[in-house]
Amino acid sequence: MRCPLETREDREILVAYSAGTLNAGDTEPLEAHVQSCATCREFVRGQRVVWEALDGWEGPPVTADFDRRLLARIEQEVSWWPRMRSRLGPLLIHRALPVTAVAALVVGGVLLERPSPLRVPPSPAVVQADGLQPDQVVRALDEMDVLNQFNHSMKAAAAQPKM
Amino acid sequence: MPGLPQPLMPEWVNTNMGGATAALDYDAELMLRVKDGDGASFAALLEKHRPPLVHFLYRMVQDGAVAEELAQEAFLRVYRSRGTYEPTAKFTTWLFRIATHLALNALRDGRNERNQERLDERSGDMPAVQVEDRRPSVEQSMVRQATLDEVRRAVAALPDKQRAAVLMHKYREMEYTQIAKVLNCSESAVKSLLFRAYETLRARLAHMA
Repeated sequence: MRCPLETREDREILVAYSAGTLNAGDTEPLEAHVQSCATCREFVRGQRVVWEALDGWEGPPVTADFDRRLLARIEQEVSWWPRMRSRLGPLLIHRALPVTAVAALVVGGVLLERPSPLRVPPSPAVVQADGLQPDQVVRALDEMDVLNQFNHSMKAAAAQPKM
Repeated sequence: MPGLPQPLMPEWVNTNMGGATAALDYDAELMLRVKDGDGASFAALLEKHRPPLVHFLYRMVQDGAVAEELAQEAFLRVYRSRGTYEPTAKFTTWLFRIATHLALNALRDGRNERNQERLDERSGDMPAVQVEDRRPSVEQSMVRQATLDEVRRAVAALPDKQRAAVLMHKYREMEYTQIAKVLNCSESAVKSLLFRAYETLRARLAHMA
């Protein structure tokens, strides 16, 4: 048998042999080789010393509240969104939506009414690309209309007596 | 954890998946149940893998508190990923891949610095020594503790990836292919890592013979 330490590919066979994890078919010829090869014998002896030294190093016991702490973290994470939604949900619907709609109306109004004395009249070539276009205004007004309708329906739903 | 379901199947079972028979480890089965919202299956996975994972991380970072923190984070990531889990590899490969990634990051962040500084000072607070019925003499205990400290130092001195490879090979008895998947490298790279690591350990611990 060729010495396993001579080739990179074969040398780990000695690690497995030292650890006792080598299969029976490979163990027998290697054992015979190790008995006749001083280098391999020394390797195996050193490896077994390492193995036994590592055997003596046991892991610490896991603290008793490991699971409880982990499950608390999971619960906190899982319940974060529903808790946030339940707390902020009514606020978002009853406060934020009307405020947003009003703000949008104000901004839209300002944009429509704002005079632009300092602006040089654009040339006909760029007029389509610059400034607020009529169709954009119509679309913004449509969206505000939808928001208003949504707001009204929410108010109506809130005003109905709950069963 | 009380009331946990005991494993009903052996470690490896044949599961019929959509007409094709695929080998699926029991842990992966449990994880698929977790994906379906079964909390008891997660508890079973936790029960089974908690000690080996904490021990692995402890030997990696050599600090009990940090090891538990990292193990918690690993299990938390497993739970977070339940929705997208696909059993493409052994569950332990996935779990140890997460844990190794966390440990390597922690070591890189220098979180273990204080541990390294303390390594020479402390020895009495390490719960590594199992108390035997035959009480060892004070001298025996001291010798054993000194030996353990030396082993710990030798392992801590290994480069991070070599250390991870040795710990998975020695204590988890993982095969080269599985270690390669955990460390995201080739099988031959794992063999090389292990050979170099054991070479270093042999040199450092040879006098213990």
